[in-house]
Amino acid sequence: MEIVAFLHALLVEPFVAMWQNPEFLLEVAIGGLLTGVMYSLVALGFVLIYKASGVFNFAQGTMVLFAALTFVGLLERGFPVWASFLLTALAMIAMAFVIERLVLRPLVNQDPIILFMATIGLTYFLEGFGQIVWGGDVHPLDIGIPKSPLIIGGVLINEFDLVAAAVCGVLVTVLAVFFQRTAIGRALRAVADDHQAALSVGIPLKNIWVIVWAVAGIVGLVAGILWGSNLGVQFSISLVALKALPVLILGGFTSVPGAIVGGLIIGVGEKVAEVFWTPATGGAIEDWFAYALALVFLLIRPQGLFGERIIERV
Amino acid sequence: MAAAKRIGEPVLEVRDITLSFGGVRALLDVSLEIRAREILAIIGPNGAGKTSMLNVINGFYHPQEGTIAYKGRVRQRMRPHEAAEQGIARTFQNVALFRGMTTLDNIMTGRLLKMRRNFLWQTIHWGPALAEELEHRVFAERIIDFLEIESIRRTPVGQLPYGLQKRVELGRALAMEPELLLLDEPMAGMNVEEKEDMSRFILDVNDEFGTTIALIEHDMGVVMDISDRVVVLDYGRKIADGSPDQVRRDTAVIDAYLGVAHEA
Amino acid sequence: MLYREAGQFKSSYGADEAIFPIRQDRWLFAAALIVAYVVVPLIASEYWLLSILIPFLVFSLAAIGLNILTGYAGQVSLGTGGFMAVGAFATYKLATSFPDLNIVVVFILAGLITAMVGVLFGWPSLRIKGFYLAVATLAAQFFLIWMFNKFPWFNNYTPSGVISAPPRAVFGHVFVTGAEANSVDKYLFVLSAVTLLALAAKNLVRGRVGREWMAIRDMDIAAEIIGIRPLKTKLLAFAISSFYCGIAGAMWAFIYTGGVEALAFDIDRSFQILFMIIIGGLGSILGSFLGAAFIVLLPLLLERTPMALGFDVPVNYLSNMQSMIFGALIIFFLIVEPRGLARLWQIGKEKLRMWPFPY
Repeated sequence: MEIVAFLHALLVEPFVAMWQNPEFLLEVAIGGLLTGVMYSLVALGFVLIYKASGVFNFAQGTMVLFAALTFVGLLERGFPVWASFLLTALAMIAMAFVIERLVLRPLVNQDPIILFMATIGLTYFLEGFGQIVWGGDVHPLDIGIPKSPLIIGGVLINEFDLVAAAVCGVLVTVLAVFFQRTAIGRALRAVADDHQAALSVGIPLKNIWVIVWAVAGIVGLVAGILWGSNLGVQFSISLVALKALPVLILGGFTSVPGAIVGGLIIGVGEKVAEVFWTPATGGAIEDWFAYALALVFLLIRPQGLFGERIIERV
Repeated sequence: MAAAKRIGEPVLEVRDITLSFGGVRALLDVSLEIRAREILAIIGPNGAGKTSMLNVINGFYHPQEGTIAYKGRVRQRMRPHEAAEQGIARTFQNVALFRGMTTLDNIMTGRLLKMRRNFLWQTIHWGPALAEELEHRVFAERIIDFLEIESIRRTPVGQLPYGLQKRVELGRALAMEPELLLLDEPMAGMNVEEKEDMSRFILDVNDEFGTTIALIEHDMGVVMDISDRVVVLDYGRKIADGSPDQVRRDTAVIDAYLGVAHEA
Repeated sequence: MLYREAGQFKSSYGADEAIFPIRQDRWLFAAALIVAYVVVPLIASEYWLLSILIPFLVFSLAAIGLNILTGYAGQVSLGTGGFMAVGAFATYKLATSFPDLNIVVVFILAGLITAMVGVLFGWPSLRIKGFYLAVATLAAQFFLIWMFNKFPWFNNYTPSGVISAPPRAVFGHVFVTGAEANSVDKYLFVLSAVTLLALAAKNLVRGRVGREWMAIRDMDIAAEIIGIRPLKTKLLAFAISSFYCGIAGAMWAFIYTGGVEALAFDIDRSFQILFMIIIGGLGSILGSFLGAAFIVLLPLLLERTPMALGFDVPVNYLSNMQSMIFGALIIFFLIVEPRGLARLWQIGKEKLRMWPFPY
């Protein structure tokens, strides 16, 4: 009997609740969008690096933290917003140079897992470094993004979420133009397709790597500012990276649209699951729901949402 | 060729195979048979579907149409490991060795199917498990002897030059004691001397163990010298099938393939 | 001059396939065993036994487990902590539900339960590979820890969520868990278990099973073509790897700390074990031990050095400094020797064999 009640609570009641109050469902879903945008941005930085260098960059979340810490640290020392942004962007570019020189170049041609481990080492380093330089406390961040709630069509929406979505949209558009229309973008796509072939037509691989790491750092900066404006800049930002990983499974490691759509799906799905399934499971399923969702998806479609089907050859 | 009389009944019969990827036809209505104890060469220009043919035979690709009968049994879908269990071994155009393992370990992997002790026995590495291991080690050493690769026994194969890797790969296939051995360009990228060695190994395997061999090769001299029969593919179709001499004189073959080769 | 194999001829393949084909290595191994079993219990302090040697051994066991899966079978896993937690909680439930069951049997059963859980989470490995699989194993990590936190049945409804080891003895009266247990007894118990399991692992990886794993790791398509069944081989790796991790988790909870909550096995634990096998050497049993020793000793060293040099560093500064040095060292190691300490050890031995003639 107990098990029947449990299954009822697990499989029936949440859907009944959704059916009875669709406005609430919509609100919850929109509430999940902001988190989804965050996941998308972190996943985006990840995809850029993976595409161009084949490196599974575990440090992406820490790069977000590091960028946000630097930004907020400069603000606290009296720099205006635009100057802090520029200086932080420059810092991220400098970091890309250092990483390429000290980590990637000596490890070129190693197994992917070795590079992956190196980025975990990088994670530890940046976490320590960022907190030594800028301190480990929670830094409140307010750069004047409006936060008042709006009612649109009977649904409660936070202005902040709209701004975040707009920023994300602009960023993706800029990146798309950069990739499709510029010479650097063309070189990047060539490298993503085939390292050896790109090298043989004279594309300098090193520069490309610096560029993608710098771009990923700047995307991380944007993500960090948005997240920090909402919850303050603190250590836990780097944990967002762990949530961005299932996004990658869902969207495919190499797909930019996959990262965006996957992030939104996970953000929304996670929120909906948390709200509607808490009675059945006792809550806190946010910890693993994204992974379960991605995993189920993966078993149905191993190449991800937008990934190409891989034909194995021998 | 004097050896022709030892050739027996067909062991493998491919009937009207059609294989396509998306819209691209790799094989179209191809039929061929491989007879016991013969050396069959499959030749043809690049992209003619030779490797696809081998992939179909050992279950790596599944053709859309047609049937394959191996030792009289018609197969539907088959996984590559099932082909291996039935005695089909092969080598690859781009060497497919286990690069992190030594030559000896690579050849020992060819014996895996014949090793029966379960993992609990393996954990003690003693008694029956050890006896089994040593028995297969003896076999592996015979192959190492045969292929003259004693000196690289303990070398990780990733560090070996290409020609030796090809030889180790042949060794791994031989360790399986296959009834049907498929060789995909066993001499690609070799110099004359290495090709001579490899040809000798192939003839010896065929001679000593009676192994049936189907091979893909581009070097016409080698093909004409060592094979009992030649099948020619062009654009996914079979255009000729016969003894080396017949194929050499076949006008369709000359047009499609040899003629071009002469001009070049 | 001492390390020479000249004059040692092998007259059978059996002798050639011994773990230590060179006589000096056999002596070295025997000496290590004597030190570990006789000398250490006589001279080691309580602190060394409880805070360094026992965690080192437990970590080594977990590292062997992960190395089987990742180093030999090539399946990257980030779920080690979760599997250790399964071992710990299974031991707790078994030991408290069946108080009369011998603790050795309890540990083995807990290992078997973990093996089953490992197989369950290893199932997707047939369809997904590489980093996709690594991320999928994170699902196991997060789900398992969540489960042990969420359902109080697992900790027998203790409000704190901490499971504490009840006293249990081997050979009737030698206590190895609980407050009364003597630290030397605990150490010897863990040492015996680790010795046996490490030998078993070494035997596995140099035989048929190990070759199947390495074949799948190096080239799964070619492995299938020589007759290896990928799913069966991968699942066996998951099962055996999880068995080791489960026993390591059980010993962590019952013998090393005596009481833990699920958070002791969070994602950081998984990374810690992964570091051990990378630094120690992927695909090396010896490397698992070397890596565990490195990771256990390094924080101690980082903690003690500033003190010894007379610096007074604030605690939070120190921990940040440590994580920086730790991260930098990882990268440094990967650059210098991506195949780990085990490889350095091997190179050292080769040099010694040739010495004093370099060629």
